[in-house]
Amino acid sequence: MPQGTFLRLLVFFLGPALLVYSVFSIYPLLATILNSLYSHQRDGSYLWNGLGNFQTLLFDPTWSVPFWNALKNNFIFFLIHMCVQNPVGLLLAALLSLPRLRFRATYRTLIFMPTMLSVVVIGFAWQLILSPLWGIAKMFLQTFGLGFLFAPWLGLESSALITVSLISVWQFVGIPMILIYTALLAIPDELVDAATVDGLNQFQAFVWVKLPLIWPTIGLVSILTFVNNFNAFDLVYAMKGALAGPNFATDIMGTLFYRTFFGNQLQLGDPSMGSAVATMMLLIILIGVMAYLFLVQRRIQRYSF
Amino acid sequence: MAEVRIENLRKSFGAVEVLKDIDLTVEDGSFVVLVGPSGCGKSTLLRSIAGLEPVSGGTITIGGRKVNDLPPAQREIAMVFQSYALYPHMDVAANMGFGLRFARTPKAEIEARVAEAARILQLEPLLKRRPRELSGGQRQRVAIGRAIVRKPQVFLFDEPLSNLDAALRINTRVEIAKLHKLLAATIVYVTHDQVEAMTLADKIVVMNQGRIEQQGKPLDLYYRPANLFVAGFIGSPAMNFIAGQVTQGGIDLGPDGAVTLAGLTAAAVGSRVTLGIRPEHVRIADGEGGLRLSATVELVERLGEAGYVHLRLPSGTVAVAEIRGETSLRTGDRTSLALDPTHLHLFGPDGRRMV
Ligand SMILES: Nc1ncnc2c1ncn2[C@@H]1O[C@H](COP(=O)(O)OP(=O)(O)OP(=O)(O)O)[C@@H](O)[C@H]1O
Ligand SMILES: [Mg+2]
Repeated sequence: MPQGTFLRLLVFFLGPALLVYSVFSIYPLLATILNSLYSHQRDGSYLWNGLGNFQTLLFDPTWSVPFWNALKNNFIFFLIHMCVQNPVGLLLAALLSLPRLRFRATYRTLIFMPTMLSVVVIGFAWQLILSPLWGIAKMFLQTFGLGFLFAPWLGLESSALITVSLISVWQFVGIPMILIYTALLAIPDELVDAATVDGLNQFQAFVWVKLPLIWPTIGLVSILTFVNNFNAFDLVYAMKGALAGPNFATDIMGTLFYRTFFGNQLQLGDPSMGSAVATMMLLIILIGVMAYLFLVQRRIQRYSF
Repeated sequence: MAEVRIENLRKSFGAVEVLKDIDLTVEDGSFVVLVGPSGCGKSTLLRSIAGLEPVSGGTITIGGRKVNDLPPAQREIAMVFQSYALYPHMDVAANMGFGLRFARTPKAEIEARVAEAARILQLEPLLKRRPRELSGGQRQRVAIGRAIVRKPQVFLFDEPLSNLDAALRINTRVEIAKLHKLLAATIVYVTHDQVEAMTLADKIVVMNQGRIEQQGKPLDLYYRPANLFVAGFIGSPAMNFIAGQVTQGGIDLGPDGAVTLAGLTAAAVGSRVTLGIRPEHVRIADGEGGLRLSATVELVERLGEAGYVHLRLPSGTVAVAEIRGETSLRTGDRTSLALDPTHLHLFGPDGRRMV
């Protein structure tokens, strides 16, 4: 192929994707990082500030206390997903792939349903369910004589974050379930037969044969969870508003960024500081993904077929 | 090693009966091959023996012990699967020793047994590799090795060679035959390949639609098929069939003519029969006679030392004749066929062999 034709083909096939990707992804990213290096003035102008914004964010108590709080909350949010959502997803997938299960499609659809609902609807529904005044959670517990267990979970500083996290888990558990279920289906039946002949029961075959083969999928699910959790915003905003109450107990990076960038009530929006928060989020996610790629994925790779 | 005895075995999936009244004895140390068209229940029978499928009725006895209610691991069987079913995340040695590990065999013994199997199968240099780093033939040997280390009473093979290329298939076939001698193993083996069946088997079992049509020594099945199905299934190219009616002293083949045949009982006169003859027992020969039919050449296949002539009889039936060496026949030629009287098969209206 002559050089000219090749270049023209290259532009023809790669051009559109590159253009869309640049305009909607690379440019905003670079602009955000650049923005975080300036300081936004009252009169609307920008002054070069170097890494000053980051210094403020990390060390000036007015900024650093909310920042570290949001980061800590975000890690708790992520850990709850890792420890509840993904194991439960794995368990559901294992149950769904039982050979003699009836109503398989029904279960699959029902469990996946919340994922397809709007976050606003989910948030609203759960607020009604958990309401101390007329929520059915309280009545439900009382029916079983367990009324003393009830507390206004969403309103207490000690339990609000856990409650919101669990609601998010409930909403998204269908995704790890479906991904892992698909991976389980791809494992040939003969492999399990071979394990049966080798003397393993169903549970042992799952642990010793199937589980190692779905490690790559579980790794993928974990990194997806990490990225999604550190980009989360909507559920907290829908349930607790931008202030992420009570007393910032549910504040995560997304809500912190929102208040910083757009402003909220008495706080004025600051595009530069907002960009600095966004850049920190990018960095955290980048570090997480890198660690996964270099430390975990290589080790997992050997398990693939 | 042990004998496998199967009595009145039945198996249904829901309302579908897949195995119907299977009676089969696999003698101690013998090599039994199951053949039959796709979907006839060969794998199901094998999996029932292995204990991977619960049966609906009948008994399975291995080495004098009724095993119907025993899980696969306690039946002292080993199975080699069509897709090899090696554990992708374990190396060759771990694959072979996996079952023993779960049976709590001492580590030293596992190692010794794996080493011995590796020696027999020439797998020693590969012990630390993973299955995906092996060729198809090597994977096959590992799968066989995994069976050997269990020291089973019975080996079960489900189409073990069907994923190999032609040359490797012949090699591995020979190796399996040697292994059978070496281990004096009882083997039940499923295949689609006629040559595999004929060369490996002490006994061939022909199955069709969940029933055993005939079982016996390979050459017995070839020379004395019990019914039309077996006659048509065993042998390649397939046996020629010509429809006819028994007359006094012979068979009337309608437009194709008639053949004279001694030894038919008077009672058979008038019944509709099928005349069967293998291509190798049909000769191209000019002239007339009691066992001659005229035909038109449709196609000549030359394979070198031998060849096949496809001929159309006046009734429209297609027959195949084997030729040796060169021939001057060409498509459209008219010729006649001589049938070898000692190798004629006669099947009654119910499809059964008549004597
Ligand atoms: N789990 C199952 N559920 C329902 N029907 C089944 C099941 N397994 C097999 N069958 C049916 O049982 C019959 C026999 O299947 P089997 O696998 O034993 O055939 P086979 O002789 O091994 O065929 P092949 O030569 O193609 O491997 C088939 O008609 C098949 O559709
Ligand atoms: Mg089969």
